[in-house]
Amino acid sequence: MSIESPQLAHAGGIADHIHPEPQGFVRRYVFSIDHKIIGIQYIITAFVFFIMGGLLAETIRTQLLNANGGFVSPGTYNEVYSIHGSTMIWLFIIPILTGGFGNLIFPLQIGARDVAFPWLNMISFWIFPVAGLMLFSSFLMGAPTAGWTEYPPVSLQGAAGTSMWAAAIFLVGVSSTMAGLNFIVTILKMRAPGMTFTRMPLFCWAQFATAPLLMVATTALAAALAALFMERQFGVPFFDPTKGGSPVLWQHMFWFYSHPAVYITILPAFGIISEVLPTFARKPIFGYKLIAFSSMAIALAGFMVWAHHMFTSGLAPYLQLPFMILTFVIGIPTGIKIFSWTATLWGGKIHLTTAMLFAIGFIATFLCGGITGIFLAAVPYDLDVHGTYFVVAHFHYVMVGGSLMGVFAGMYYWFPKMSGRLLNETLGKWHFWLFFIGFNGTFMPMHWLGVEGMPRWVATYDPQFQFWNRFESISSYVMGISILLFFVNVIWSARAGKKSGPNPWGGRTLEWMIPSPPNYYNFKHIPTVFGLPYDFSHPLPYKGLDDELTDTPPVTASSHY
Amino acid sequence: MAVASIAHGIAPEGEPDQLYAETRDLRLQGFLLFLISDCVLFSSFIFAYLYLRNSGQGWPPPGIPRLDVGFAAWNSVLLFGSGATMHYALENWKHGNFMKYMWMLIFTIILGLGFLGGQGYEYTHLMLVEHVTWAGSGVFGASFFTLTGMHGMHVFFGVCYLTVLLLQSAAGTYTKQKYFGITAGTLYWHFVDVIWVVLFSIFYLI
Repeated sequence: MSIESPQLAHAGGIADHIHPEPQGFVRRYVFSIDHKIIGIQYIITAFVFFIMGGLLAETIRTQLLNANGGFVSPGTYNEVYSIHGSTMIWLFIIPILTGGFGNLIFPLQIGARDVAFPWLNMISFWIFPVAGLMLFSSFLMGAPTAGWTEYPPVSLQGAAGTSMWAAAIFLVGVSSTMAGLNFIVTILKMRAPGMTFTRMPLFCWAQFATAPLLMVATTALAAALAALFMERQFGVPFFDPTKGGSPVLWQHMFWFYSHPAVYITILPAFGIISEVLPTFARKPIFGYKLIAFSSMAIALAGFMVWAHHMFTSGLAPYLQLPFMILTFVIGIPTGIKIFSWTATLWGGKIHLTTAMLFAIGFIATFLCGGITGIFLAAVPYDLDVHGTYFVVAHFHYVMVGGSLMGVFAGMYYWFPKMSGRLLNETLGKWHFWLFFIGFNGTFMPMHWLGVEGMPRWVATYDPQFQFWNRFESISSYVMGISILLFFVNVIWSARAGKKSGPNPWGGRTLEWMIPSPPNYYNFKHIPTVFGLPYDFSHPLPYKGLDDELTDTPPVTASSHY
Repeated sequence: MAVASIAHGIAPEGEPDQLYAETRDLRLQGFLLFLISDCVLFSSFIFAYLYLRNSGQGWPPPGIPRLDVGFAAWNSVLLFGSGATMHYALENWKHGNFMKYMWMLIFTIILGLGFLGGQGYEYTHLMLVEHVTWAGSGVFGASFFTLTGMHGMHVFFGVCYLTVLLLQSAAGTYTKQKYFGITAGTLYWHFVDVIWVVLFSIFYLI
């Protein structure tokens, strides 16, 4: 840890400016411009959509208990999996990891009083529930049936709800774009004095890598959705081959967004894991710079691999090889992260709290998902298993075993900072073990079914697959029960959980230096940063935090320097 | 306050306060990022257009006449000229020449409206005489009207914004130090210009 003299903040600038505290319930908790309240709003709303998407998932699994289905009609089944996928990706994982944890935590970690554009932040939150309701309202007019990817020509022939789907996802995209823009400016311009890029906590690095993806990739998707909407509503031909359009064009435009989108969903989870592991291993994170830069490398490379989803769509053979190799290349920075995390655990004094269990579980399951990703990137193997349950297994190992486990780790880790109370550890451990068992029981057999050729997106299946499908469905109920336990835990602990105090875990990033929940102005005066937050044997690398836990009022002059 | 000195043009010298300076930097960066994401929106449609153009048999597709390059070129001159006048508007503001600034802004708005009028004429001609429409002329109509229409909407919003700027400037909203709105308007107008350079090249020249 090198100690350099940091740049001091200029007197009278943003760092010294404290907004008056908002008064009244509506300004405080509904149309709030406080990043912490907005973050919690995002988290609650996203979990509501998570429950709805989860019920759809259990509907899918109940349908697949029997080879000939029978729980819902095949048409309804198509609607259910389409909305399940769309909900989980656009209304749960992306909003909770960026808008939710991003808003809540990273301004605290960089020592800012708020994000750069608080009003924009409020608007971008309020677009999100509206878009979510629009998405679910599509059930009333015939929901989309072509899966979350909505390939034409099926999506062109779908019921009226498909247009509603496009409009809803477009709006979520607007919300994401605004959030990404806001986050980039905040991280570039509003770090506390001395908080250089190479002293920034890794969660902030993860958000910083995610934000450009949110901004750029989502806008590309917006164009595709607008084109689909225009074609469906006004008959403007883009994708209909009978009018000279090209269905493959949609795939290009969609995947140019949606491959970076999977990095939008996983990079913040990487960030959460990078915070949880060193805290509970009581050990500096291994390879700080490698983890930080590999996030940027993943974000950059994520834009150059989209066509690996299209190996079976008639992609020119000379394009297959570069896309295959570029996809393999993404395995390198991801591998760097996995090795760094493992090395962080090595020789640490490991505290197996629930957050830590989820973080370690994340490494194991995400590794599985990553490795099957390499399988799928290989053209010959992809040609074999494309459109089978192998893809479903891979995807859920990354999204559920990766992103969702990251969300849970983050919830157990930062819940005290949101509410001032700890989540119950006993219930938490039940949650983890039931979830881990249920999750692997649900998705591990899908690999085998996929290799044997069970197609995805079909309401019935060959009777030879019945045993493993029943096994998966029952496991998915176990997973459902574990998530029920989680919600019981959250609701109970928010009211009656153990008081946590400012820093229950002995964390060293800036958010733990202030009371839980923090005051609306975050810091009484903006601290000065002298080094990395992960050097557990050194004194804390901050100055100017002496008054944070006392009753003194906030200081706006910078005389304390 | 600036309001008192409005009758004499732009308010006198002095350093802007620290809070304004820092906020302006944030807004400038945010605005540039907004322009980048807007640029991605255009790029996606441009990609779609080039993709469709190259997957059919020749361009323009059978039955579609070639676009009138000469007319569009003269129309483009209006838009590029407005970029120049907008540039001089901002420069004059920085140098405190209030009246020159106002005139340059008015010229910019007139040229922008002229461009929109030209585009309106071109659209009407295409639709009524050549019978090329948005939804009825295959991928040509789809890509041409969507992209140039999007650009036209941007010009239209730009003209509205510049009109607001004009009224605000007359009312003394901006001072010699605090004129972020004018900077943003200039950036936006140049952005719309640059997009047109690309659209003109790919629709009329190639």
